[in-house]
Amino acid sequence: MLLYLIILAGSFFLLTGSALLALRWALQDGQLRNSEKAALLVFDEEEPLGEVTDAFPGAKADPTNLRKPGSLP
Amino acid sequence: MKTPTSSLFRALNPSDAGNTAESKATLAEIDGSCRRPVLFLFTNSLLWLLGGTVLALLASWKMHSPGFLADWPWLTFGRVRPAHLNAMIYGFSSQAAIGVAIWLLCRLGRVPFMQGGIVLAATVFWNLGVTVGIFAILSGNSTSIEWLEMPGYAAYILFIAYALIAVWAVITFRFRREKHLYVSQWYLMAALFWFPWLYSAANMMLVINPVRGTVQAAVNWWFAHNVLGLWFAPIGLGAIYYFIPKVIGRPIHSYSLSVLGFWSLALFYSWAGLHHLIGGPLPAWMITISIVASIMMVIPVVTVAINHHLTMVGHFKQLKYSPTLRFIVFGAMSYTAVSLQGSSMAIRSLNKVTHFTHYTIAHAHLGMYAFFTMTMFGSMYYIVPRLVQREWPSARLISVHFWTTSLGVLLYIVPLSVGGVLQGLAMNDPNVPFLKTVELTKPYLITRSISGMIIAVGHVAFFWNFAWILARRLRPYEPPVAIIAAGLEQEVKAGLAGDI
Amino acid sequence: MNYGPLVFLGLFLTFASSWIGLTVLPQFQLGGLRTQKIEETGRDFPDAVSGSAAQGREVYRADGCIYCHSQQVRAADFGADVARGWGKRRSVSRDYLYDKPVFLGTMRTGPDLANIGLRQPSVEWHLIHLYNPQITSKGSIMPPHPFLFELRKIGRAPSPDALKLTGEFAPPRGYEVVPKAEAKNLVAYLLSLRVNVALPEAPLGK
Repeated sequence: MLLYLIILAGSFFLLTGSALLALRWALQDGQLRNSEKAALLVFDEEEPLGEVTDAFPGAKADPTNLRKPGSLP
Repeated sequence: MKTPTSSLFRALNPSDAGNTAESKATLAEIDGSCRRPVLFLFTNSLLWLLGGTVLALLASWKMHSPGFLADWPWLTFGRVRPAHLNAMIYGFSSQAAIGVAIWLLCRLGRVPFMQGGIVLAATVFWNLGVTVGIFAILSGNSTSIEWLEMPGYAAYILFIAYALIAVWAVITFRFRREKHLYVSQWYLMAALFWFPWLYSAANMMLVINPVRGTVQAAVNWWFAHNVLGLWFAPIGLGAIYYFIPKVIGRPIHSYSLSVLGFWSLALFYSWAGLHHLIGGPLPAWMITISIVASIMMVIPVVTVAINHHLTMVGHFKQLKYSPTLRFIVFGAMSYTAVSLQGSSMAIRSLNKVTHFTHYTIAHAHLGMYAFFTMTMFGSMYYIVPRLVQREWPSARLISVHFWTTSLGVLLYIVPLSVGGVLQGLAMNDPNVPFLKTVELTKPYLITRSISGMIIAVGHVAFFWNFAWILARRLRPYEPPVAIIAAGLEQEVKAGLAGDI
Repeated sequence: MNYGPLVFLGLFLTFASSWIGLTVLPQFQLGGLRTQKIEETGRDFPDAVSGSAAQGREVYRADGCIYCHSQQVRAADFGADVARGWGKRRSVSRDYLYDKPVFLGTMRTGPDLANIGLRQPSVEWHLIHLYNPQITSKGSIMPPHPFLFELRKIGRAPSPDALKLTGEFAPPRGYEVVPKAEAKNLVAYLLSLRVNVALPEAPLGK
């Protein structure tokens, strides 16, 4: 019984510890910088930022949503 | 640029890595290349949805009218109910998930779909496996292991199918042209990695070479809960993270939060499964760990909810204009609701009342239907027109589909949850005769059947529109009606050319 | 951002940890459980089911009884299982030593069956209840299982196995309802369900 608790507690600390170490590495290595750029990956030249891309068939996209293309809504 | 169909050898040959630094594929190329495999998956999944809905209605009706069609062993409740579950999970939900994942991975990797043969074979095997499995359940060969009722021979077939999908995913990931990863890709690749391990470990330890005694129960619920948390939830979340920004044209509120949300889900979700066995014959430490993990799940869930909500804030009026957004946002909110509810159900004092009752079933449908299925519907509404380059034929059918399924599932969940709590309270009172606990649930079982019929109408409406849009594809090419307002399209083109 | 290998490692570790913690470790801890010799009877507990009861277990499995019935008694201070007479003590791991698969169940649309062999030892009651639950338990939502029985013409003399059915449930004149082997096996299995034996880890009354 005690053995299981030791293994479990041990793996818990090991796992959490390595996760925190990995997080520290990621922060220092700059992996999490520029994250806002990654958020733009769903957009491209064909379907740019600011463009609404879904509507009911036969209807226009939200007509109140027209704006200069490329600008944030 | 022609769509390359690289041979399998070339695909796996690392020296070909140089060629992948090509320019990113256009959306039309990607969507066109995905058409056949994704539509094949979607068609099969929707056929299973219809079949699973029939089984659902049968099972629901039998619960308050037990004599209904009770003469035949093939239709006895104890077989129809698992047939419904397996048809929905493996037939409908998994194939919808794979189809959506394929399209998303191609889009986000900016790479056309390749290796069609692999996915075609996988889809055929998958459907074969599910068909064999459902047949087995109805004919009396169910394993009676929840979420794993299909016997070993069906599981093998499904596993082969799955392995082929995994090979495809690795190749596509390897040859993606957009090197940077978006959060949806982590979720999707994670799900595609976790599922085969789950499925094979569970089948080995429960069906092929069963472990002893109650260890089976631990393996069973580690498996079943992880199918929800590590297969369906990540794919659903991956879809939501893509479609909300894509539809409204605005990026996710905080990308860093999505990193936190992803890793905390990976860490905690897989430990929560044994909350299905609270009060049961297992050592206390394992149950307690699962309870703790279930409570910790609040972290990723709230993180994701904040992210989605703050992305949507100021744009809720878009729900009026976008079919995809309606279903996706309904799904996203349901994810938050079902997860927080799930965390609460792991608390012993609440579990004492709700365990073994219909409350659990209502919770399951809040998760698999209100969250996952609605998210899949929303995804299909976005993807299918782009695959076939046609518009959905009927806006009215879309509306019918949305309102019947959203209101229908609420009518399912709310009364049944109330009934479940009353049932649990009565069961915990030893002075209440057992048959009384059954009697008091009957009105809620009836509302559940009514809700099922309403939802079924929605499914038929959707399938009708789906068949119709596929039929439109067969007609000679029509210039696709602009998904975006014609005026805006001109503006965009002008803007890109620098005219504005 | 291309930190693929690190992400992969993370996915692997988080998942492997739960697999080890919730399946492998339990197997280590519980895999060594053995039967307990009961002083009073000199027999081992639990006993593996055999013969008719073993076949009945297969009927239980094939017809999905687990979707409405549980087979686990909760502790006396956690719900009313003991107070309802569903067992004299909570169920523990050892009770399920030989079960393949384990029929713990997760729903109580019908009552818990861990001790049904003690609570309802009448073969006749079970057969009639399986044939049509309304007869013994009016208002029940359990489905009837007529396919476990045979409706046949009475031969020279009525079969001794024939169910004693009256009123609206009685078969047409000249016919009798006789349980098939599956019905008898299923009942033998149900009658084998009894766990009210004190164990070192589970004294009676808790």
